Amino acid sequence: MMLSLVCRAAVAAVLVASLLLVQVEAAQEESLVAPFDAPKLAEIDARVKWIDQPVLDGLDLLRAKQAKEKPLTTIEQVLRLQNTSATANDQILSALGRLPEAGAQVNWDATMVRHLGGDVKSTNPVMHSSAAEGEFGTLTGFGLFSFDWNFFPFAAKDAVRSWQSSDDHLLDKVVLRDDLRWSDGVPITAHDVEFSFLTIMNPRVPVPAVRSGTDQLRYVKAYDDHTVVFFHKEALATNVWNINFPVIPQHIYKDSIAEDPTLENSPYHVRFEDNPVCGGPYKMVSRTRGVELVVERRDDYYMVDGRQVRPKPYFKRVRFTVLQDPNTTLLSLKKGLVDEAILNPEQWTTQTEGDDFYRTNTKARGLEWVYFYFGWNIKTPFFSDLRVRKAMSYAFDHKEMLDTLCYGLYQPCNGIYHPTAWMAPKTDVPQPYTQDLDRAEDLLNEAGWVDSDGDGTRDRVIDGVTTQFEFSIICNNAPLPIQICTLLKQNLEQIGVLCNVRPMEYTVLQEKEISHEFHAMMGGWGTGTDPDTSDNLWMTGAGRNFVNYSNSKVDKLYEAGRREFDRDKRAKIYAEIDRLIYADQPYTWLYFRSSFYGFNKQLRGYNFSPRGPYGYSPGFNALWKSAEAQ
Amino acid sequence: MLTYIVRRVLIGSVTLLLITVVVYALIRHMPGTPLTAAMTEMDPSKKLNPEDYERMRRAYGLDKPWYSAYFVWLGNVLRFDLGQSFAHKQPVTRVIGERLGPTLALSVSSLVLMYLLSIPLGLYSTARSGAPDERAISLLLYMLYSFPTFVAALLLQMTFAQYFDLLPLYHMHDDLEVYQQLSPAGKTWDLFKHALLPTACETYGGLAYYSRFIRANMMEVIRQDYVRTARAKGVGEARVVLVHAFRNTLIPLVTMVGLTLPSLLGGSVIIERIFVWPGIGNLFFDSITARDYPVIMCLTLVFSLLTLAGTLLADVLYAVVDPRVSYS
Repeated sequence: MMLSLVCRAAVAAVLVASLLLVQVEAAQEESLVAPFDAPKLAEIDARVKWIDQPVLDGLDLLRAKQAKEKPLTTIEQVLRLQNTSATANDQILSALGRLPEAGAQVNWDATMVRHLGGDVKSTNPVMHSSAAEGEFGTLTGFGLFSFDWNFFPFAAKDAVRSWQSSDDHLLDKVVLRDDLRWSDGVPITAHDVEFSFLTIMNPRVPVPAVRSGTDQLRYVKAYDDHTVVFFHKEALATNVWNINFPVIPQHIYKDSIAEDPTLENSPYHVRFEDNPVCGGPYKMVSRTRGVELVVERRDDYYMVDGRQVRPKPYFKRVRFTVLQDPNTTLLSLKKGLVDEAILNPEQWTTQTEGDDFYRTNTKARGLEWVYFYFGWNIKTPFFSDLRVRKAMSYAFDHKEMLDTLCYGLYQPCNGIYHPTAWMAPKTDVPQPYTQDLDRAEDLLNEAGWVDSDGDGTRDRVIDGVTTQFEFSIICNNAPLPIQICTLLKQNLEQIGVLCNVRPMEYTVLQEKEISHEFHAMMGGWGTGTDPDTSDNLWMTGAGRNFVNYSNSKVDKLYEAGRREFDRDKRAKIYAEIDRLIYADQPYTWLYFRSSFYGFNKQLRGYNFSPRGPYGYSPGFNALWKSAEAQ
Repeated sequence: MLTYIVRRVLIGSVTLLLITVVVYALIRHMPGTPLTAAMTEMDPSKKLNPEDYERMRRAYGLDKPWYSAYFVWLGNVLRFDLGQSFAHKQPVTRVIGERLGPTLALSVSSLVLMYLLSIPLGLYSTARSGAPDERAISLLLYMLYSFPTFVAALLLQMTFAQYFDLLPLYHMHDDLEVYQQLSPAGKTWDLFKHALLPTACETYGGLAYYSRFIRANMMEVIRQDYVRTARAKGVGEARVVLVHAFRNTLIPLVTMVGLTLPSLLGGSVIIERIFVWPGIGNLFFDSITARDYPVIMCLTLVFSLLTLAGTLLADVLYAVVDPRVSYS
C-alpha cells in the first residue's frame, strides 16, 4: 500500500514537473539575408561590363576529349582481360569508358542498378548532406552549374542559355533556357532560383549542408522568368562555386513553408517527400526506406513540344540499392544484381580474381585526391617542436605500410594537394618521407627528448617535471587504421617512444578531434573543387584545424589566393601554401587512396575524376549499357 | 491477483521512468552529438559555419542541459508526441512504424519455428538420452549454438543464392514493380522465399539453446518420484514423457516465453544488414552511431515496456500453469 502511494506520488510529481518545464522556442530569426534593394537590370547593364562565361555540356566535353584519344584495345579483348596491372587498367578504361558513337549501340530500355552505401534520408535537394543523397540529387535535381573532371566550372548547357560575369567580379547574370519543365509540367523559371536561395537562407529551414557557400551571396534576384542575377558580397575567385546551389520548385513550397519550415513534417510535405517534383533528367517512381529507390527517365526532360531539345538520358530506369555490408555487396555484384559497386582494397586484391567475378563483371580503378595522415596536436608538449614532428615522419616505416598493409595499391602522399592537381607545386616539389631511424633519433635528441634515466623510454623535463615520451594515437575502429597505427607504435618503440593505439567509434573520434582532445590522430581528407576549400583545415583557428596548426604566412596566402583571379598566379599561391605546410609537418602524410570499382560487363562510359567515377560532369550521365551485350 | 497486477504495474512504471532517466543521461553523455557527423564530412568544402552550428544545436535542443531536455522529452511523451528523428527528419513513430512489420515478420516466424522444432527435439533428446543419435544431435546443436550468425548468413547466401540460385540474395520481396503485379498467393510465396534465409539464420542459434534448455529441465523432472510411479503403474513411455514430465517443465519455459517478448521487436543488426531487411535492429544501431536521441529513446521505451510486460506476463502465466503458485 505504502509502495503504491509512493509510486503514484512519484509519477504525479514527474508529470507536473515535465509539463512545467516544457518550453517552446519563441525567438525565431526571420532571414539570414540582409535587406536588399536590388537595382533595376537596365541600371546594372549600363553600369557594368559583362564578360561571357562558358556554357557547356559535360558529354560534349568528354566526347571531344575521347575524339583525341585512340582506344588502346578493342571491347572484345578488354572484356576477356583481368585487371591485374596498371596497363590492363588503362586498357579497360580506354575501351569501356567511351561514349557511344551511335544511338543504335545503346540499350535505351536498360535499367541500371546502382549500389548505395547508405540510405537517402531526404529526397529534397536542399536537405541533402550525405554522399548517397548527392548521388540521388545528381539524377533528379536541377541546378544551373556544373564542373568537369578537372574541376573546371561552367554553366550547364541543358539548363542555361547564357552566363556572364561583371568585370568587377561582383555580379553573375544567368539566362535560363525557356524549355525547362518540372516533372509535374510546370515551367522551371528564374523565380525558382531566387526562391531556392531564400529557402536555403531561411534560418527556420533546417538546411544541413548546402547553406555553406550560398551564405556568401549577397542576394539572388530574378528579373523575369529567365534572367537571374547573383550579387556577391566581395570580389572573390571562389564566388563561382557559391552560385552553384540546388533549385526547388517554388510553386510547391511557396505557400507551405511558413506552416512547416522543416519541409518534411506536414502531410502536404510528406506527400512531396515521397513523390518529389523533380527538375533533373530522372524522376523518382518508388522508394522503400533503407532498401531502395527507383528513378525513371523523364521524357519531358529531353522532348519538348515533340522536339528533342536535350540529350536523351541513357537509362530508362536507375535503381539505387542500399547495401551496407561489403560481403553482400560483392555477392550481389557477382550475381549481377547490382551493375556497379565500390570494392575495398582487400576485395580488389583477393576476392575479385576468379571467374565467378569476371563472368559478369570487370573492374577498374582511378586515382583519388583523398589522402590519409597522422595528425600531431601541436598544442601538446610532445608535438609543439617541429623536430619531434619530423622525427615521427622519419621513424615511420612508409614502405611497409604501402607494400604490405595497403597491398601496393596506393601511392605515397607528399602534401595537401595531389601532385597531378593544377595547384600542386611543380617546382621544389616536397618529397615523401622514408624511414630513417638514425635521423629520427638525432632529431629527438636535439629536441631534448633523451633517455635520461636509462629505462628505455625517452623523457624530458617540462615545467620542472620529468615527462616520459608516451602518447596516444586515436583512430577509427577499422582494420586498416589500426594496423597502420600499430606499425607506428612498433616503429617508435625502436627509438624509445611509447605510443598507445586507441581505436574508437567514428562519432567519438570526431568529437575528440573537433574538441582537440588528443595527442595524435589518424584521419583522411578528400578534396573540394577549389583549393581554397582546404582553408578550414589550415588557417589559424579554423573549424577542422584539429591539430592546432598556425602559420601567419599560410593564413595570408589563403586570403591572397581567394582574391587572385589569374589561375596561374593562384596555382603559385597554393603551391607555396603546400610547401610551407609540408615543411612544418603538422601531419605525417601517408598515402593517396584510389577508388576501386566493379562494373557489370554490359556497362560502358565510366571515367574517373579525382572524386571517383561520379560527382562531376558528365560523371554518371556518361554511363550507358550496350545493346549488343544484352 | 488483481491487486498483485496493479502493484506490479505501478512498480513497473517507476522502473520505466528510472530506465528512461538513466538511458537519457547516458546517451547525452556519450561523446558526440547528432551534429558531429555533419561537421566531419571528408570533403573539406562541406563545412557548417559556427552560426549554423549554434542554430542547429538550438533546433535540436542540444543547448539545454540533459535533465532539462529530458523533462521536455518526457512531457512530450506524456502527450503522445515521441518527437522527430534527427537523422531521418521524420516523426519517430513513422520511422519506427515503417520497420515494425518487417521485424515482426522475421522474429515471429523465427520464434514459432524455434518452439515448433525445439520442443520435439528436446523431448526426443530426453527419451533417447545417452543414445548415439541423441549425442549426435547434442553435438550438432552445440556447434550451431556457437556458430557466428554473420558466417552462417554468408554461407547460406553463397550456397542457396549464388551457387544453386534457388533463393534470393537479399531484400524482403522482389522489385516493387514486379511484386505489386503478383497475386496475393504470389506475394506470399515471394515473401516466403525472401524470408527463408534470414529466418533460418535467426532461428538456428535459439533452436539449439531452447532444445538444450528443454532437455536439461526434462532430465531433472524425469528423475522425480512421480515419474517413477507413473512408469511403475505401467504408463507408456510416450505418455510419461509428454504428460507427466513435459507438463512440469512448462513452468521455466513459460518464463522464457515472457522474456522473449522484447526480442520480438529488437530485430538483429547483423541479419538485417546482410539481408538488407528494413527492420528495427539496423535502425537502432544506426541511430546510436548518428546519436539520433529521439529514436534511441523511443526504442528504449518500447523495449523497456515490453521487458516489463514480459516479466509480468511470465509471472501471471506462472500462476496459471502451476496451481501451487498464488499471488493472492
